[in-house]
Amino acid sequence: MAICTVYTTQSLNSTCSISTPTKTHLGFHHKQVVFYSPGKKASKRGAYTCNPYVITCAAAGGTVVIGLAADSGCGKSTFMRRLTSVFGGAAEPPKGGNPDSNTLISDTTTVICLDDYHSLDRYGRKEKKVTALDPRANDFDLMFEQVKALKDGVAVEKPIYNHVTGLLDPPEFIKPPKILVIEGLHPMYDQRVRDLLDFSIYLDISNEVKFAWKIQRDMAERGHSLESIKASIEARKPDFDAYIDPQKQYADAVIEVLPTQLIPDDNEGRVLRVKLIMKEGVKYFNPVYLFDEGSTISWIPCGRKLTCSYPGIKFAYGPDAYFGNEVSVLEMDGQFDRLDELIYVESHLSNLSTKFYGEVTQQMLKHSDFPGSSNGTGLFQTIVGLKIRDLYEQILASKAAAPVQATKAH
Amino acid sequence: YMQPLRAAPDQISEKVVESIKNAEEACADDPVSGECIAAWDEVEELSAAASHARDKKKDSDPLETYCKDNPETDECRTYED
Repeated sequence: MAICTVYTTQSLNSTCSISTPTKTHLGFHHKQVVFYSPGKKASKRGAYTCNPYVITCAAAGGTVVIGLAADSGCGKSTFMRRLTSVFGGAAEPPKGGNPDSNTLISDTTTVICLDDYHSLDRYGRKEKKVTALDPRANDFDLMFEQVKALKDGVAVEKPIYNHVTGLLDPPEFIKPPKILVIEGLHPMYDQRVRDLLDFSIYLDISNEVKFAWKIQRDMAERGHSLESIKASIEARKPDFDAYIDPQKQYADAVIEVLPTQLIPDDNEGRVLRVKLIMKEGVKYFNPVYLFDEGSTISWIPCGRKLTCSYPGIKFAYGPDAYFGNEVSVLEMDGQFDRLDELIYVESHLSNLSTKFYGEVTQQMLKHSDFPGSSNGTGLFQTIVGLKIRDLYEQILASKAAAPVQATKAH
Repeated sequence: YMQPLRAAPDQISEKVVESIKNAEEACADDPVSGECIAAWDEVEELSAAASHARDKKKDSDPLETYCKDNPETDECRTYED
């Protein structure tokens, strides 16, 4: 796909966007080619401004922007890999650039890490005595400017925060993708950035699970002890509660990860109870449901048709309220042992936005080595990925339809 | 073609050890000071970087890495049909 049509720019005066809609044989696939000249770099913090020779090949109507908020070490990268896989093709760091770049690029999707918008580097934060979670350590003006530019189809020079050295490296060139994912601590903190998001997700990891995960992650590392892991979580908690956690009220989907209720007093963090909280009434997003939309249901799939090992699997579904919003909640407690369990579950879920029967199972199987593949985190991340694909396709179709209607009106 | 050197996981490991030591010192006088909190935040950032570096190292298959650079060799050639 992704055929770009070349438009010659006749008018050399100031107009910025070239948006001559043409009807292609595909109906809704309006693409435009816009060239940019690498020689003409815009001002150091700015977007590439209008220049008839300088533009990029982007889907007409701009870029769809998705926000993903989560604390560090909470599986953002796994989610990202699942999401890009739904769109096909692997996501890789930009070729030939800074080896410590945080950006991932695939055919359709570009993922940028919001740590790149730190206004204070590691030494600056130390001096000012603030954490990376603190809004004062982040440049929301630049974040807004650049996300807006990318959404409007304009390439930008984005800084790189180097996680190894803790310094801000020279910027990298980011072209407007079809889908832009901004992931990090503050995608929904600033209202201007929030308003640019077409869809937002918050990964909400409970304290017990966060602790268990960080032990798994860090205990092998030299220097760490139970005390140091605990101290690090405790120290960051006030800022986390003040600046990160409140963002979940704005999210269209929240994935909440809690300790299991199937095993009494479990604190291993291996068996999980995962909730997918989906906002009602969001344009282009129809929440998933189990059996009957709007009912409250508790379902244990194990029985005559399905053998489950200890501690089994339990699903729940129902309407609820979340920060004053009407939501639908789908919950899974326990873990899968084998594939037939997953296809059995998939066949009882509706509104999955799959293109064929079994797509959720197929996606999960493709990445059976990723963390969370045997529990609700992997399942719900995959479902959200499919929902985003559906949302993207609907936005594209509606944008293609709009200019056609406008010309008719003339 | 030379790939630029990535920071070795061992190097980050050393930084993690150092940052934990610093954090423990910074918190010795006042456990809720901004200094102490910022120090533990640095520990978290470095621990996350170390874990990413470890994952990257673990993921890489020696044959696949070799074949990326040498697709024409006997052990790497694949045909679609």
